[in-house]
Amino acid sequence: MQAATSSSHPIAPAAAAGGPAVRAWIAVAGRWAAGLVLPALLFGLWLAAVRGQWAPEQILPSPALVWQSFTELWQSGELQDHLAISASRVAWGLLIGGGAGLLLGFAMGLSATVRAYVRPTFDVVAQFPVLGWVPLLIIFAGIDEALKVSAISIAVVVPVAVNTLAGIANIPHTQVEVARVYRFKLGQVLRHVVLPASAPSLFNGLRQATMQAWLTLVFVELLASSEGIGYLMVWGRQLGQLDLVVVGMLLIGAVGVSLDVLLRRAESALLGWRRVAF
Amino acid sequence: MKRRTFSAALGALALTPPAAFAQDKPPVIRIGFPNAGTGGRPLGGGSYTANAHHLRAIDEEFKADGIRVEWKFFPGAGPALNESLANGLVDFGFGHGDLPVLVGRSTGLKHKVIASSGRGGDSYFVVPAASSAKTIAELKGKRIATFKGTASQLTLNRWFEKFGLNDKDFRVISLDSDSTLAALSTGDIDGTVRAPFDLEARGVARRIHEILDDPYITRPGTVWVSDAFEARFPQIVQRVVTRLVKVAHWSTLDANRERQYQLWATSGTPYVDYKATWDRARDLRDRLNPLLDTYYTASIQRSIDEVKKYKLVRRDVSIDGWLEPKYLQNALKELKLEDWWPQQDADGKTVVPGRKLA
Repeated sequence: MQAATSSSHPIAPAAAAGGPAVRAWIAVAGRWAAGLVLPALLFGLWLAAVRGQWAPEQILPSPALVWQSFTELWQSGELQDHLAISASRVAWGLLIGGGAGLLLGFAMGLSATVRAYVRPTFDVVAQFPVLGWVPLLIIFAGIDEALKVSAISIAVVVPVAVNTLAGIANIPHTQVEVARVYRFKLGQVLRHVVLPASAPSLFNGLRQATMQAWLTLVFVELLASSEGIGYLMVWGRQLGQLDLVVVGMLLIGAVGVSLDVLLRRAESALLGWRRVAF
Repeated sequence: MKRRTFSAALGALALTPPAAFAQDKPPVIRIGFPNAGTGGRPLGGGSYTANAHHLRAIDEEFKADGIRVEWKFFPGAGPALNESLANGLVDFGFGHGDLPVLVGRSTGLKHKVIASSGRGGDSYFVVPAASSAKTIAELKGKRIATFKGTASQLTLNRWFEKFGLNDKDFRVISLDSDSTLAALSTGDIDGTVRAPFDLEARGVARRIHEILDDPYITRPGTVWVSDAFEARFPQIVQRVVTRLVKVAHWSTLDANRERQYQLWATSGTPYVDYKATWDRARDLRDRLNPLLDTYYTASIQRSIDEVKKYKLVRRDVSIDGWLEPKYLQNALKELKLEDWWPQQDADGKTVVPGRKLA
C-alpha cells in the first residue's frame, strides 16, 4: 500500500531526493488510507444490501436516509442536546468511577494490608457484569439520573482499578531499590517512581473505562429515559425509524474514537520518553 | 461426499416448484397480537380478538385442512408487531393500536385493514397512593410513564391536551406495562394512564381523573392482513374473518360476559379491572364492534392528523386504499349479522342502532 502510494505519487522522485519529511508524510497518509479500507468495504456492503433489498427497508435504512436524519437532527440542535446529556452522564460516571478505581488500585497496589483485606472481595465483585447490577441498582437508586451515573461508575471502577494495580505490580523491583538508596519520601516515590512506571497501564485502564462507560450508558439509557443518545435509539426503534438507530450507532462510534484519540495524545505527550517497538 | 450431497440438495431445490405457490392453502397461519400477558405470558384480554385465541376458534376452523395456526404475543407491543411484519413473520394483526399501525404504514409496511378490533372504553389517570397530587396540572415537571410507540402514547397526549397541557410540561418516560406497575408501587413514576381498580384495592395507587366512554379520547383498534398473504390466499382470509365475526358475535352476548372476564383475567390483568371497566358497557356491542364504519375512518383520520402534528412519522401516511371491507361484509351477510352492531358517525353518535335484542 505504502509503496504503491509513493511510486504513483507525482512528486515522489523529487521527494526521494528531497528529504525524509515528505516520505514520512506519505507513510502517514498510507496508514490512514489503510485504516479506511475496511470502513469503505463495510459501507459498500451496506449500499449493496440496500440496493439488493437483502433486508426489508423498514429494517435496514439506506445511507442517504441516515445522512438526511443526521443533518436534520443536527440542524434542529436535537442531536447536540442528546449528546450533551449522554456526555455529562459519561463524564460523571468516569469522574466518580475513575476516581474510586484509582484510589482502590493505588491502595491495593501500595499497601500489602489493604491488598490482603480487599483484593479477594474485589476479585469476586469484578466478575459481575454491570448489567447484573442494574436490577439491584434500580431498587436503591430508582430509575432516574442516579441509576445512570452509578451504573456507569461501576462499569468504570473495575478496569481502572485492575490496570492501576497491574501497573504498580509490574514496577521493577530495582527501581524501588534505587529510590530506597536515595532515601525518597513516600511523595517522592509516588512522583518519580510509581507514577511514571505505572502510567502506561493507567492510561490503558482509562481507555478501557471510557469504552465501558459508553457501552453502559447506551444500556441504561434504554431503560426509562427521556433523553440521551441511547434514548434516541430506542425511540427510533419504537417509531420504526431505524435510521435514527444507525445515526446513534455512528455517533457513539465517532465519540468513542475521538475520546480514544484524545487519550492517546495525552498519553504520548506525557510519556513521550518511552520508545515503542511496534 | 459432503459437497456432492449439498449440490444434490441444491439441484432438488431448484427443480421443485415453490410449494406454497402450487397449493391454494398455506401450511400455517401466523396471527400476531400487539401485547402479551403479565410477565410476557402468551395470553390476551379485553377484546373479541383475544377471545378468538382463548376459544381456539381459528384453530378449529382450519383443523380439517391441516393448517396450523401460530399465535404470537409481543411484549414489545405494537412496534414489535410492526418489526415482525417487516421481517415477514406474521400474516394477521389482531388489534393493532392507532399509533403503531400508522407508523407501520408510513414506513411502507404492506397490509390491508379488514376489521376493527373494538372501540370505546374508559381511561383513568393514576398516581402512586402516597402522592399528594389532586390534578394533572400539579404533576407538571414530574415523571409520567407511557409505553412510547404504542397507542397509549397518543392517549396520554390527548389527556394532556384536554387539560390544556402538553408533553413538554412533563418528563414523559417510556416503560412497558409490567414496569409501569412496578414503578408505581415504588413511587419511581408520578403518574400514568391505566385501570386503577386492582391498584386501589391493594392501596398501591389511586385515580385522580377519569374519562368515561369519550369517543375522542379512545381510538378503535385495527385488524389487518398482510398484502402478501391476502394476494395468495384470499379465500383463507375470508374464512378467518368470518370465524372472527362469529367470535365477535359470541362476545357481545350478555350470557358470555362473565365467562369472558374470566378468560381475559388469565392474561394476568386482574379480574376486578375487567369487571369494573366492562360492566359499565351495558350493551357489549358498543365496544366489541368489528365494523369499519364512519366512526372508524374518522377516528383513524384524527390519529393521522395527530401523528403528523407530533411529528411521529417522517413520511406521509393516508387512509386511502388501505381498507378492504369486503371480507367483513361477506362475513356479516353469511352470518346474517348485517344489522347486529350499531353504526356510529364521526363523533361517535349512533346513527344506525344495532338489532333490537329480544
